[in-house]
Amino acid sequence: MRKTILIALTLAATVVTALVAGPLFKAPATPTTFGEAAAMMTRPAVIVSELFVWILAAVVVTLISGREVRYSSIELRTSPLYCFALGLVAVTSFVLTAILFSYLIPFVVGIPLLVALAVFAVLTKVYGTIAVFHAVGTIVAGTRSRDLMLRRRWLRGDLAMVIVGLLLLGAIRLIPIAGTIAWSIASVFGIGTALATKFGRREPWFLVWRPAES
Amino acid sequence: MNDHCRRYAEDPEENVAHLRECETCSSMYGEVETKPVNLDSLPLAPWEGAGYRSWPLVIVGALAVLAIALGLCAAAGLSPIAALAIGFRYEGTRAAIALIDQKLRPLGPLVFAMLFIAVNTILVLLLRRAPRGIDA
Repeated sequence: MRKTILIALTLAATVVTALVAGPLFKAPATPTTFGEAAAMMTRPAVIVSELFVWILAAVVVTLISGREVRYSSIELRTSPLYCFALGLVAVTSFVLTAILFSYLIPFVVGIPLLVALAVFAVLTKVYGTIAVFHAVGTIVAGTRSRDLMLRRRWLRGDLAMVIVGLLLLGAIRLIPIAGTIAWSIASVFGIGTALATKFGRREPWFLVWRPAES
Repeated sequence: MNDHCRRYAEDPEENVAHLRECETCSSMYGEVETKPVNLDSLPLAPWEGAGYRSWPLVIVGALAVLAIALGLCAAAGLSPIAALAIGFRYEGTRAAIALIDQKLRPLGPLVFAMLFIAVNTILVLLLRRAPRGIDA
């Protein structure tokens, strides 16, 4: 029953989000001049430049907190629907909170609140997306047996899984419309898994009150 | 419990003789059935080999992406810094938030407040679930 409600909630949230914020897709025009062709190269150039920065960020985050990234990746692979639902709700919450804070800009307090929200949202997205890279890398190139793992020289370890997932998702992102959608879905999954595991620390977000025992 | 008992508890296979000599240990462990375990037959744990750092893959991957990025930037007539500046401008996000704000505004502050409370209540309810992950 709970699973059905969760699936229904996820589908409803996806439809509402798509209807409210869905981009208007335009068919890419065929270039007729060298200038137009160069202009068409701008988008892939921007995406691949961003991917290089993503590689640097992913390597640093994985070296600093590899265990946390792995825990988030495991959570994503064991409860993908929950992570997606949580990610969608969290993104909606971020947007509504940003709108609410934007109303507070005339009262000075709005700007620091918006900055804090933006920093939190960006950190959640970056960490979560790196966990998604790890999950995708493990699904695609992860080992199932010790023998295979020990025989591999390159494709083993958290760092390798993150890089494989990043390169794969990065390649998918280059596809004009599907790539943007796939990357957005990966971001939603990432935000969900980052929040579900409290950035891989697996601690509860809210403490449960219990009376002290005498 | 002496040192021999402790050693037996730590490694029963190496100290089998102790079980015949010690009455305490034979009464404690004598009826326990032990089976040799083939470690290779057990499923691979997620942490096994996770600490391995595959630097060649990282370097090759990063250099390949850098080379492609530089090539594409040259073809598009952009500097890599300008490409990054375009990429990290987040204009799309700001535009999307502004669009949602525009669409929600006609509904009035009461509907917005109810929507805000409903979404954040669902968020809190979802966050109360303990992560399954390694326990699943």
